[in-house]
Amino acid sequence: GQEFRFGPCRVEGVVLQELWEAFWDMKDVVQAQDNVTSVRLLRKEILQNVSEAESCYFIHSLLKFYLNTIFKNYHAKAVKFRILRSFSTLANNFAVIMSKLRPRQENEMFSISENARRRFLLFQGAFKQLDREAALTKAFGEMDILLTWMQKFYQ
Amino acid sequence: VPCVSSGLPKPTNITFLSINMKNILQWNPPEGLHGAEITYTVQYFIYGQKKWLNKSECRNIHRTYCDLSDETSDYEHQYYAKVKAIWGMNCSKWAETGRFYPFLETQIGPPEVALTTDEKSISIVLTAPEKWKKNPEESSISMQQIYSNLKYNVSIYNTKSNRTWSQCVTNHTLVLSWLEPDTVYCVLVESLVPGPARLTRPSEKQCVSTLKDQTSELKVK
Amino acid sequence: DGAAVLPAPQNLSVQSTNMKHVLTWSPVMVPEETVYYSVEYQGEYESLYMSHIWIPSSWCSPTAGPECDITDDITATVPYSLRVRATLGSQTSAWSTLKHPFNRNSTILTPPGMEVTKDGFHLVIKLEDLGPQFEFFVAYWRREPGAKEHIKMVRPGGIPMHLETMDPGATYCVKARTFVKAIGRYSAFSQAECVKVQGESLPL
Repeated sequence: GQEFRFGPCRVEGVVLQELWEAFWDMKDVVQAQDNVTSVRLLRKEILQNVSEAESCYFIHSLLKFYLNTIFKNYHAKAVKFRILRSFSTLANNFAVIMSKLRPRQENEMFSISENARRRFLLFQGAFKQLDREAALTKAFGEMDILLTWMQKFYQ
Repeated sequence: VPCVSSGLPKPTNITFLSINMKNILQWNPPEGLHGAEITYTVQYFIYGQKKWLNKSECRNIHRTYCDLSDETSDYEHQYYAKVKAIWGMNCSKWAETGRFYPFLETQIGPPEVALTTDEKSISIVLTAPEKWKKNPEESSISMQQIYSNLKYNVSIYNTKSNRTWSQCVTNHTLVLSWLEPDTVYCVLVESLVPGPARLTRPSEKQCVSTLKDQTSELKVK
Repeated sequence: DGAAVLPAPQNLSVQSTNMKHVLTWSPVMVPEETVYYSVEYQGEYESLYMSHIWIPSSWCSPTAGPECDITDDITATVPYSLRVRATLGSQTSAWSTLKHPFNRNSTILTPPGMEVTKDGFHLVIKLEDLGPQFEFFVAYWRREPGAKEHIKMVRPGGIPMHLETMDPGATYCVKARTFVKAIGRYSAFSQAECVKVQGESLPL
């Protein structure tokens, strides 16, 4: 069956099609709330040329941020926009992925994990430059960009 | 002379129709203005950049569509587009699309399908659809290069037995052997890529006949 | 306050077969009255990160029947807590919560229905349409001593799919089982079905 292969990190038990359907159900509602169209958090240069080895560190940082910060603080909006089901599908599947990622911590991986960390900090830096609510809305609306990047590692 | 933003109703149903990255912005005229000499002006915006950009070929146009393929050709970017109606000195507010992501939203056209037959077999050669390009002289980019996991659903209909069956293939050649001689088979092919659900555009149905059975012909002679 | 006068529904349980999940409970009986129920769920994320949050189920908030199809709500392979309460007019019961959280990886997988046919020399299989979660692990072989078994993953169900081009005069047998990617599990194999191809068999 298909699984995620972020370099050495393998993740089974997540059907990417379910995540796509969940996001697509709420895409128009969520993206319409994002008025700061001059800012893109997951910019092309952040996502381009991520090596296999880097990918596990990078996705681990991203999903951890999404679960601890974005989903957690976006919930009230999800209730307001009546998108709780899509919200729950994405949150629970991201939690599954994160629970199965085991980024290696050996010393020789330090430079690779640092590259991944730099990418993540570019994303987080852009997030922090925005007003809090605007940043949450934007990050939530950019999950199609995140899922598109994740799709490349779904084999 | 810039028009005056008045109570003129906005164009409606503004969407992108996208096939193989040929991205056409289309809309309906404003309601309640039948017969009026309406023109339209279009602008587009690259998500994450700073300002709206003009499309000079779509300024004060009468038609209700505008080809933005060139402006939206980087399919990893996301875009907005907007259009306003102009009547004399008055113009409507802008009508704007949602965020358009060509990579996820373009419809994947069918492959080219070439059929050759002999007595008991049909060989099917598929050529992946091509990405839109500005000039015919430009080198072609196959949609397969953009979507490495592009697959084809091939449906075969036996007109004699009235049976249909399908096969999902990733490579570009398929030989159907041990078919019935002197029988018309019809073939229809769809392109499939994983990701969000997309409208599919099946190929034209093509029908060919397998040749007559030479051996039985010889016996008859 | 009339909130908890109504008894809470009892005997909550989930029946799950082929990734269709139905929550059932014992009805709250009030003579000549229709009692309605509301069902809510909480995935692992909600219980870990936002434990006070419960999500109304897609189809049963409210519902009149003592059961609820929660298939569309269970969309991750994690433990889900589920709860139900009864409502009659302004009266509302306490919540009754499923004793053990439900995980879809416990669903019962049955062998798929299948129809094996031939179109001339072509072996064709039509498998039961069980929904997008299902792929089919199809094994087929030519019935002869020492036959080699061929394997094909087939999806989707519901449409005739080409399996093999057969040799004249031979008999081919097919069996299939389902595979659900989301939970990484297979069903048992179906009974094998065989078809014989017309014409003289070819020399081996």
